[in-house]
Amino acid sequence: MDYFYHILVVVCIYAVLANSLNLLTGYTGLLSLAHAAFFGIGAYSAGLLALNAHMPFFVCILCAMVVAGILGLMVGLPSLRVRDDYLAITTFAFQILAFGCLNNWVSLTGGPQGLNGIPRPAIFGIVIASNAQFLVLTACVCSFTYWVVARIVRSPFGRVLKAIREDEIFAQSLGKNVAKYKLTVFVISSCLAALIGAVYAFYIVSIDPTGFTVMESIFIVSILIIGGAGSLWGPFVGAVVLVVLPEVLRQVGLPEALAANSRQILYGILLVTFMMWRPQGLFGEYKLGSSSREGK
Amino acid sequence: MQLVANIIIAASTILLVGLGFALIYRVVRFFHFAHGVVFTSGPYAAFLLTTRLGLPLAISIPIAVVISAALGATMELAVYRPLRRKGSSPLVLLMASLGIYVLLQNTISLAFGDDTKSIRPNTISEGIRVFGAVITPVQLLTVAISIGLLAAMIVFFRQSIMGKALRAVANDPVLANISGIDSDRVIFWTFVIGSALAGIAGIMVAMDVDMTPNMGMNALMMAVVAVIVGGVGSMPGLILGAVLLSAAQQLSSWFLGSQWQEPMAFAVLLVFLLFRPQGFLGKRVKNASI
Repeated sequence: MDYFYHILVVVCIYAVLANSLNLLTGYTGLLSLAHAAFFGIGAYSAGLLALNAHMPFFVCILCAMVVAGILGLMVGLPSLRVRDDYLAITTFAFQILAFGCLNNWVSLTGGPQGLNGIPRPAIFGIVIASNAQFLVLTACVCSFTYWVVARIVRSPFGRVLKAIREDEIFAQSLGKNVAKYKLTVFVISSCLAALIGAVYAFYIVSIDPTGFTVMESIFIVSILIIGGAGSLWGPFVGAVVLVVLPEVLRQVGLPEALAANSRQILYGILLVTFMMWRPQGLFGEYKLGSSSREGK
Repeated sequence: MQLVANIIIAASTILLVGLGFALIYRVVRFFHFAHGVVFTSGPYAAFLLTTRLGLPLAISIPIAVVISAALGATMELAVYRPLRRKGSSPLVLLMASLGIYVLLQNTISLAFGDDTKSIRPNTISEGIRVFGAVITPVQLLTVAISIGLLAAMIVFFRQSIMGKALRAVANDPVLANISGIDSDRVIFWTFVIGSALAGIAGIMVAMDVDMTPNMGMNALMMAVVAVIVGGVGSMPGLILGAVLLSAAQQLSSWFLGSQWQEPMAFAVLLVFLLFRPQGFLGKRVKNASI
């Protein structure tokens, strides 16, 4: 049963990550390959505060979000100058930099060993320790993220984001401050990734940089794209498919040593297949990089 | 002196990968991430041929290069061409190539294991002293090969019909088609040539420092940084970018420690993307106003 809860927690975590990325990639059309970096920044900030300063749970989470928000703003700045595949490379560069810092800044982050023994969080005096309790917590975060994204997307603000995605110059010509919108969305998206990163750090107890690599970023993007970018339910579906499917494969008797590789092979195949036959994903309304202007 | 030698050696490897990547990027206009796994496929094919079939290195290396080229060509035929036919955006192609990368890198991991494999000749040769710097014969060969191939590419672009057709497609695929150039065929050969270059680069690197399944990502990233920093579509820019990048890397490993090489490379890239996205010598740039 604990194993079952664990899978659900992982599904929730990836659903939040994909959903927050959705705001950026699915609704605003900015493909970011740095989401695992923000996830990691959130996890490390919260972990460090909890370990060294013994801060309460909510303070840790809040600080993690602020740190990630500021860094998100910094990553967002280049998005004003470059677009499409150049933006993908820019965020990619940030991802590698962030991983380099987590891995090499030993005095702060513990280097490859990471942070160990992060204390269990207490919310209003209740210590959260079991997988079932964490499932409730991550499910709450998951619903919160869904609510935030849904609110934003259905608001006038969200309509401007879609306008930027479809035709940036047109949005600008209507007097919308495109730069401000892009930066705001970068900040919100990074904050949400850091939020679940912090929860993840408390859940997994010891974190190390290998959880926040480029491959992880690509995995998050794959979840979003396979589930469907630009739809509210797409990220959930994607997370369920890409997290549960490999577990099923493991259950049918694939040896543990091959499981990690075959998990990646599986999503590599899925990614190529979807790009070829259904680039908008299962439920998506947006094909990457397409804009109404080019839609001849 | 050792520092200068190291910079030149590192730059020539970056140049070899960058040459193939830039070629494909110029002609097809998308970030071909799977180029990294083509790079890895070269040394692993050579490894397979020498250890399993017992072929001598001198024969297995050319075959391995052909295998790399075939791999790149297969990607083009099986994935990229159908995608282009559908009018997919460069971002869709980029994601597809990421998918191919993940797929093939893990296939290599499964087949060969994650540990380090070697195709180095068994005899450990002593380094040669050149102007007070110690260089191994393989490194010397790498520098020679990359300079040779660079020269060959320049001649190829300027003189041969295929080279001219390639440039024509790079400039304007539609116009090239109107002039009777079969752009699909040109792109196919672009992938063959670019992938062969990547295979050669991979083999040279593996002869120097052995191979692991994920060696390609690092090499590819360095190439991408060099291409962007130098300016897309500019051959002298690429050389400049490769030298600048390897200088930044070698200096940072000299002063900060070798683990900072990679972050430093990307710091250079970020600075360029922020302040001069077209690179040193590039002209055209995708910025927010197009």
